Amino acid sequence: MKRKILSITLVTALLFVLAACGSASKDSDGKASTDGSKKVTLKIIHWQQENINNYIKEFNTKFEAKYPDVKVEYTTVPADATYDQLMQTRMNAGTTGDVDIIPLKSSFVGAPQDWSKGAADPMWKQWIDAGLISDLSGQAFIKNYNEVDVQNAMTYNDKVYGVNMGKVAFTGLFYNKDLFAKYNLQVPATWDELQNVIKVFKDNGVEALGFAGKDVWPIGLAVQGLQASIHDDQLSYIKGLWTGQTKLTDPVQIEVLQKAQTLMNSAMPGFMGIDYGTLPSLFATGKVAMIADGTWDATTIQAANPELKFGYFPIPGSNDAAKNKDLAGKYDMTWMVVDKSPNKDYAMKWLEMLSEKDNYTDFVNAAGFLPTQPDVEIKSEFIKDIQPYLENFKLSWDQLFINRQNVGQYIAESSVHAEMLKPAGPIAAPEELASKSQADWDAAAPK
Amino acid sequence: MYPFGKGKARLIPYLYLSIPLLLYVVFGFGPSLVTVLFSFTDATGVRGQEWSFVGFENYKTFFGASNAGDRLDAIGRSLYFAFAVVIIQNAVGLFMAILINKKLRGDKLYRAVFFLPVVLGVTVSGLIWQLVANPLGGPAQSILNFFGTSSNFFGDYNIAFELIIFVQIWMYMGYSMTIFLAGLQTIPNDLYEAGYMDGASGWKAFTNITFPMIAPSFTVNMLLSIIGALQTFDIIYVLTGGKFNTTTLAFDVYATAFGTGTADYGLASAVAMIQFLFVFTISMVALFYLRKREVEV
Repeated sequence: MKRKILSITLVTALLFVLAACGSASKDSDGKASTDGSKKVTLKIIHWQQENINNYIKEFNTKFEAKYPDVKVEYTTVPADATYDQLMQTRMNAGTTGDVDIIPLKSSFVGAPQDWSKGAADPMWKQWIDAGLISDLSGQAFIKNYNEVDVQNAMTYNDKVYGVNMGKVAFTGLFYNKDLFAKYNLQVPATWDELQNVIKVFKDNGVEALGFAGKDVWPIGLAVQGLQASIHDDQLSYIKGLWTGQTKLTDPVQIEVLQKAQTLMNSAMPGFMGIDYGTLPSLFATGKVAMIADGTWDATTIQAANPELKFGYFPIPGSNDAAKNKDLAGKYDMTWMVVDKSPNKDYAMKWLEMLSEKDNYTDFVNAAGFLPTQPDVEIKSEFIKDIQPYLENFKLSWDQLFINRQNVGQYIAESSVHAEMLKPAGPIAAPEELASKSQADWDAAAPK
Repeated sequence: MYPFGKGKARLIPYLYLSIPLLLYVVFGFGPSLVTVLFSFTDATGVRGQEWSFVGFENYKTFFGASNAGDRLDAIGRSLYFAFAVVIIQNAVGLFMAILINKKLRGDKLYRAVFFLPVVLGVTVSGLIWQLVANPLGGPAQSILNFFGTSSNFFGDYNIAFELIIFVQIWMYMGYSMTIFLAGLQTIPNDLYEAGYMDGASGWKAFTNITFPMIAPSFTVNMLLSIIGALQTFDIIYVLTGGKFNTTTLAFDVYATAFGTGTADYGLASAVAMIQFLFVFTISMVALFYLRKREVEV
């Protein structure tokens, strides 16, 4: 008898658990908010980037103070594929309101062009085409942003689908000003001058150059710097790859790979084992004189060592100083509102409040972005310092490049794989990597 | 006579069983079935976007697209991984089990220590070995420096995959050891005594008594490690993220579904199906031979 009672209790308990699962989803669809007693949960996902996360958390508190019936649920995950995966699963979760606001890692780039026959649609385009992203064209806060930036970074098919928070440059090197002064070095303006800087550091037993090789993509930042200064016109070269007028084995591209190899040969030992999170601290503690990283990490470096005097200059890939004077980069994070979200109104209010001049100014200063709103007062000495390099801001290679589908490993994803060259990888000659890349590119040509 | 009682009470076990069955159908069997279905479609995984049946198109893409070479490399790597892991993990596990079975002082401590990595979980194990192999002043680097050399460990095309194999073995050797230990403890001591009388001791006793007697644990261990090794994705993800030529077929499933930036669930499902057939075939062949061996002894 005792056993029977026990078993019946257990079964009932389990049924309750199952039933609870069923009813929980009802709560989260937000409809309960209409009676006023329950709070609306506004769900925002984001990738981990400490300085930005801290500001958004602060802003969320302000937002909750202004709208007392809203609770913001702010979820952050690592910036790698984990974030892409989170976006995908949340977007696909159905109409239960699993997410209301999603930031894209860049702006609306990568859509197939008329010259890129057979290229795959990027995720954001699939979402917009499927009607999952809200049209923000009519919103008043869009007018806060520069018209040209709205056009370049937030518009698709003549409608505004996102709010881009700013530009970042990443084709330069951070340098330690004290170390440069100690050895009487100037910021290098040409390739030969850069080689000289590296040589002076090496002769004095200072590690000259640091890469976060373990994550591979940070090496790509430097390579994109070389591309931006060695190529005369990256976009026409990329178009040429599709139409067959240019090849990945062209001398200009060989030069990029050769110089990337030279840079890796000058890098600190063990750079292929250093992950992206560690690199800024090595620089901040003076263990290495220059590192390849994006301008967004200036705040991280500053936080790691507030005493450090540092600057940033474009990687001089060319011996023609005029070709090296501009930084390249991208439009960084773009907020999108999920159209099926039951909390759409509050999502709009959230974006509206973030777009207010004061809040936006605080954001760009915390994030270290270059503003997409006019007349924003930049407090960062660092950004003021690099202003001359930003006057003719260029889009970087990865923002312009459109890849073919099912391409092999020598051209997949970031398309230029300098990390496969010695000393990082197994291939000795840049020419060999270039011809393997071109072979992969040709093999993937649409039939 | 009435193992489950009489009357309505008989139904209680079925009631109990129906709950895990329901959970399994909803969360296990159902999604698997949908994967089979998806593998014949061009579903993108984007909600609200239309999809249609495309027959074997995804399978053709797997074997015939321009990156099929990379995919075959991944299959080769899966086999290499499984082969190395199965042999070494079981050899080490058996060796440790035999040592621990010899009523040593502190054998319980040894058991706990060797089993610990199994309990730690993949992320923790991954972090431990990343710290050990930290190229900037990590202990492994210091040892190499002592011998006048250095390494990038998990960032090195030449050894990253072998290091992952090593970590995988380290993680699960305690598991194999425990199963072998259970098998060893079922062998009655009389057998060894009788064997000793017939002049079988040491290696002879091992090959003629121990090894045949633990055949069932051997089968279990071989199968578990074959399936486990062929499915390994997590430790690769933690240690290298599939970079530096460490992509296996199991990792390819993940990379196709989530890693490309463009959604293609159809192709990803097809890769998952191929992965399933791959693991299924190999483990069935292995099971056939292992069972045959068990029967013979």
